[in-house]
Amino acid sequence: MAGESETLGLHAAKLGKRFSSKGGDVQALEEVDLEVKQGGFMSIIGPSGCGKSTLLRAFSDLVEPSTGEISVNGKMPAEARAAREFGVVFQSPNLLPWRTVLRNVTLPLQVMGVDRPTRNQTALEMLELVGLGSFARHHPWQLSGGMQQRVAIARALSTNPSVLLMDEPFGALDEITRDRLNLELMRIWGQLSATILFITHSITEAVFLSSQIAVMSSRPGRITELINVDLPYPRNAETRDMPEFYELVIEVRRALVEASAITS
Amino acid sequence: MTSEDVAVIKGAGSESSGKNLPIGVVLTPTIFFASFLTIWELAVRLGDVQVLMLPAPSVIWSMFLEDFGLLVELAVNTGIEAGKGVLLGSLIAIGLAGLVHGIGWLNQGLLSYSSTVKALPVVALYPVMTIFFGVTSKAVVAMVAVGVAPIMFTFASRGFSGTSEHDDLMRSISANWRIRMTALVLPRALPYVMAGLRTAVPLSIIISIISEYFGGSVSTLGAYIRRESTMLHTVQVWSAIVMACLLGVLVFVAVSLLDRYFLRWHSSRRET
Repeated sequence: MAGESETLGLHAAKLGKRFSSKGGDVQALEEVDLEVKQGGFMSIIGPSGCGKSTLLRAFSDLVEPSTGEISVNGKMPAEARAAREFGVVFQSPNLLPWRTVLRNVTLPLQVMGVDRPTRNQTALEMLELVGLGSFARHHPWQLSGGMQQRVAIARALSTNPSVLLMDEPFGALDEITRDRLNLELMRIWGQLSATILFITHSITEAVFLSSQIAVMSSRPGRITELINVDLPYPRNAETRDMPEFYELVIEVRRALVEASAITS
Repeated sequence: MTSEDVAVIKGAGSESSGKNLPIGVVLTPTIFFASFLTIWELAVRLGDVQVLMLPAPSVIWSMFLEDFGLLVELAVNTGIEAGKGVLLGSLIAIGLAGLVHGIGWLNQGLLSYSSTVKALPVVALYPVMTIFFGVTSKAVVAMVAVGVAPIMFTFASRGFSGTSEHDDLMRSISANWRIRMTALVLPRALPYVMAGLRTAVPLSIIISIISEYFGGSVSTLGAYIRRESTMLHTVQVWSAIVMACLLGVLVFVAVSLLDRYFLRWHSSRRET
């Protein structure tokens, strides 16, 4: 692998986003530079309203940047979206309540025009991967919040994207469920080797999952610090007991406090 | 939250969950109705009221049983007219709401227009309809469609105007127009359409019978009531009224069952 020609999984250069409204303009993002290697796991952490979701939405082509450059696997977000380079997991599970679990997971494949037997088979494999193979015929309302979010992950993975954009996917879950899904995400990531951008406001979650953590400050949203997480992979329940884990948690907390101090 | 939203949340299924009905829900109306009939029967018999004025329930009931075949035929014809009218009016209204949704000023204009039409006594339009269609079944169907369309338009336009995080999902997976419509927009509007139908369908029976009363197809409940009342056949009129009530209840139950089946995924339609 030649260092220079290597395509980045995610890349942002001097990215800016300004929202205009009647109440005045808001600079959601300013001069954001971000590089995530292919197969890397980057978490973005920051206070509420710092623009971390906006950053993710810019990568997923749901928000048009005002200034700067942005790319997914070397492509413009719109091209990457058309080429199914990425899957998005939203804050809420965002499942269609009138569709069964299986038909929720097949939706992206249906959009691609994959025939029914193939897409059902792929969807079942994805549900097996997230441990919900036996719930294919259920409706979303019959599942707990954590299970619904796992279905959402299965759906995002169904098109076999090389990039996964996750916007605080476990934010609404209780701590125990969140810890379990973190373990599960590590297992899945180990199997798929996808590039992941993960938005969170949980320090321990960020440290546990990521190879790198970007700390953001708000108004204007900018990246104030980049922290490498040199804990060995594969990570498991014991990782959380390592002294290095706690040192990193303390370091991220300090960076977060400094980032918040810039704001207030 | 608009009245349409409230109507969606207060779904047919949520009113009674079916299984563990409290006794009062069945018993209280039964006792009330039985006492009502008894007082009526006694009043007519003891007060020696003329059958032309007010027949006793037992007399009405035996006439109802005697003419049952005929009454069913009349009710079926009335029901078919009402059904055709609901179908026609709903298709026009939902189609129109689908077409103008997203075009703000047009949608708003049609909404205020349909509010006005809703306030209009539809029966007043009947002479106009007979000019268009003659004194036929078609005029009745047209009347129902005109009465139902503004209700369905208001509900459907509310249903189409909804947005949710699902729209982001659809964009992120690059869904085309057809899949966006069938997988998201139409199912999302369905609770509103069903809420509209819960108002529109019972109303359609009322409009058909009134239109038939003013002249329309011969073999229908409204026409029968008019004919028999001019001949002072009060008992026949009453037995037709009983059938009209049954028809009204029947279509209401039918819509409620459809509602429960189509919206079984909807949070308001479940027992918790």
